[in-house]
Amino acid sequence: MDFALTEEQLMFKEQVLKFARREIVGRVQDHDLRGQFDFQSWKKLGEFGILGLHFPEELGGGGADVITSVLAAEALGEAGVDGGLTLSYGAHTYLCADTIFRHGTDVQRHKYIPKLASGDWIGCMGLTEPGAGSDVASLRTRAERKGDSWVLNGTKMFITNGAIADVAVIYAKTDPSAGHAGISAFIVEKGTPGFSVSRSLHKMGVRTSPTSELVFQDCVIPVENMLGYEGNGFIMAMQTVEWDRSTLLAPFLGSISFLIQRCCRYAQERQQFGRPIAYFQAVKHKIADLKIFLEAARSLVYRIAWCKDQGRPLNHLEAAIAKLFVGDWSLDPINDAMLLHGGYGYCHEYDVERVFRDSRLAPIGGGTSDIQKVIISRLM
Amino acid sequence: MNFDFTAEENELKRRVAGVFTGEAVSEAQLMERASLEELKRTTGDFLRKLGEIGYLSLCLGPAQASESLKLLAAQEDVARISGSLFLSVETTARLFGGLVAGFGAHDQFSDLLALLAGGRIIAAVAVSEDERPDSGPGFSTVAWEDGESFIVSGTKPFVTNAPIADYIAVAASLDGKPAIFIVKPGDHAVVVGPRLETLGYNGLAVASLELREVRVPKEMVIGPLQNPTLIEFLRRTQDLLLTAASVGLMRRTLTESKKHADSHLRGGKPIFARQEIRFKIAEMLTLTQTAQLLCYRAAWMYSVSDAEAHAVLHCAKVFSAEASERVASMGVQILAGTGYVSGNPVEQAYRESKYAALAGTTTELARMSIAEELLKRHQV
Ligand SMILES: Cc1cc2nc3c(=O)[nH]c(=O)nc-3n(C[C@H](O)[C@H](O)[C@H](O)COP(=O)(O)OP(=O)(O)OC[C@H]3O[C@@H](n4cnc5c(N)ncnc54)[C@H](O)[C@@H]3O)c2cc1C
Ligand SMILES: Cc1cc2nc3c(=O)[nH]c(=O)nc-3n(C[C@H](O)[C@H](O)[C@H](O)COP(=O)(O)OP(=O)(O)OC[C@H]3O[C@@H](n4cnc5c(N)ncnc54)[C@H](O)[C@@H]3O)c2cc1C
Repeated sequence: MDFALTEEQLMFKEQVLKFARREIVGRVQDHDLRGQFDFQSWKKLGEFGILGLHFPEELGGGGADVITSVLAAEALGEAGVDGGLTLSYGAHTYLCADTIFRHGTDVQRHKYIPKLASGDWIGCMGLTEPGAGSDVASLRTRAERKGDSWVLNGTKMFITNGAIADVAVIYAKTDPSAGHAGISAFIVEKGTPGFSVSRSLHKMGVRTSPTSELVFQDCVIPVENMLGYEGNGFIMAMQTVEWDRSTLLAPFLGSISFLIQRCCRYAQERQQFGRPIAYFQAVKHKIADLKIFLEAARSLVYRIAWCKDQGRPLNHLEAAIAKLFVGDWSLDPINDAMLLHGGYGYCHEYDVERVFRDSRLAPIGGGTSDIQKVIISRLM
Repeated sequence: MNFDFTAEENELKRRVAGVFTGEAVSEAQLMERASLEELKRTTGDFLRKLGEIGYLSLCLGPAQASESLKLLAAQEDVARISGSLFLSVETTARLFGGLVAGFGAHDQFSDLLALLAGGRIIAAVAVSEDERPDSGPGFSTVAWEDGESFIVSGTKPFVTNAPIADYIAVAASLDGKPAIFIVKPGDHAVVVGPRLETLGYNGLAVASLELREVRVPKEMVIGPLQNPTLIEFLRRTQDLLLTAASVGLMRRTLTESKKHADSHLRGGKPIFARQEIRFKIAEMLTLTQTAQLLCYRAAWMYSVSDAEAHAVLHCAKVFSAEASERVASMGVQILAGTGYVSGNPVEQAYRESKYAALAGTTTELARMSIAEELLKRHQV
């Protein structure tokens, strides 16, 4: 075994950290309070190359390996970029663009990936429905073949970037009687008649990432907009889930490093009973617990990234373990980080409050902790 | 990065597995109820077998820290079979052997080291005391020079292997610095107390030790030494082997719990069919793998002299100790009545699991050390 990162990987992480602190972090608080997507930061992410980091250079990407992508995402969190922007980035790059890259035809790749990698276009992915969350196979959005077209009908729920996306990867049933094997994936562009955003949701956290309900009403798309082949949608969705459980977890790791810095600083500055609160063992205990969680979670997340770099397919067990651990075990230390800040920790003014709210998504999005336990126990 | 074991790491694991074949496993497990004579014989037998495969010569002293990861991967395999045997073997090899090989003068202990490598002796290390003086090296056990030898006096409350040891390394203060004195229990002035009854690790022979002005020839003395180096080495070695003990314990508990859940029927179904049970097992696996990876990474950091190795080892120590308590507790819950009956491996694990948190660097002191290092790094 060897846990070493290369010089280039470490240098790149440092560059991302500096870039994010310089170009993005200053606008985070304002956008979070207003619950607004930050288009300017998005543009900067695109210019820096984050949005297409792992795609080949000929498609406008950076040609990076998965570990480098994880480090970049971690650096964003560590710099203090909010969970909303990193979620939007994850849904765009991995859940949408990567699915097109992996399963699309050459034409589809060349049409979409360069625009998505640069951030000129924004992508989203629609799997969840009002009545189908954990139980993906029960989704009811229907795709029917009519001549040279597919006609989509149904509703998608909780779709990150839904309201601002130029292109969506949508999962729908092509054969309602076939369960998992009846699901297929389609590319739907903004402005396609019959495709609309019915409402945007107000959320507790990740507020800068728009979450929407999407409606498809006799939405006609050309037959060539099918991704991959008919009936392969479930497998594709499961492959994106691996990203959900590696690169998308990385900003959480970063945000713990961010909290460690914040807590250490606050504990030294805040005086009570005539001394900095850092003097008290109970305060140190909280700081230590953040670090213990961070170090424990780190290897789990890197392990999936490494497996992906090795070309090992579908590491479901490893991915579910990482997702479960990050989702469930991060809650207590993050709660403690907020408590360490006392009353200020409860106020928007202090970043810890935002991280607390953002982090509550970890045990829900991309498959709840219960579902991870279902997967783990099934694979044992 | 590489999350697979190397050929060399696998080879050592394979050789360890060769020592613990069917009958040997039962023999190791019977140690829990063995008399001192039986313990001495069984421990001696296993030491010789482990000596034959080169296990006892690895990672002795600070200069051989580069073998830490390779060793840890094999250590947890021994710990999985029997925690008591593991601690006894490691006290002999890594603590006593590490002191002698790492701190003795060149050639000073070549005969003793040959005996250790072959598993021909059992050894103990007596460091901790009831009351630690605030100044000096921190031992109330003292030594003074007397002609060609030294006289040592003092008491150590807990000494693993003392009742079955051929040699005991005793830490004492010599001219205000720590030094190690190697004594033989056969000496009438070396008084080993009665075997202590403990909550767990009942196959371990632990007793107090009193040195009544014991005369120790100069050639059996190491030091005086630089205080931080010696104490740091002992703590780090002990913390590493306690992490291995915790991971081994978790693996053992998980195997037993899963076996029980698969075979124990309630309502006509194995209890593993019930989410209340299978989710516990999923959590147990998650904690086990997380602890395992974290421990490997901590050991790797020592292997490459990483500046953060101390802090990450403390994280690994706290995490694995606390995770093992939780895993053992869930194990007992799954086995229910069967798990509550004495002599069951899960009941045994439950009792043993408390030890790792209070031995070596206690979880309280480890947390304080982690936090203090972070506060220093993020000083305002
Ligand atoms: C901010 C945000 C962004 C999102 N972005 C996207 C996106 O971009 N694209 C997308 O497709 N989806 C997205 N989602 C949806 C997300 O993946 C789902 O919310 C999640 O998978 C859970 O589904 P659900 O909300 O329908 O909960 P449900 O499935 O209804 O679950 C409700 C509760 O029941 C439990 N439960 C369900 N089944 C079981 C079972 N078998 N055993 C035990 N317990 C069970 C769950 O753990 C949970 O506690 C997003 C969600 C949020 C909140
Ligand atoms: C079965 C067994 C075998 C052993 N074998 C050996 C052996 O072979 N050789 C050997 O040298 N020792 C041995 N020991 C001793 C063992 O290493 C010590 O028990 C351990 O180091 C803890 O020390 P203590 O019991 O004196 O606890 P104490 O130091 O008295 O601590 C009591 C409690 O107070 C907490 N505490 C102490 N100081 C602080 C502080 N500053 N801040 C916050 N909390 C604090 C501790 O964390 C702990 O929870 C053995 C012990 C046992 C039980």
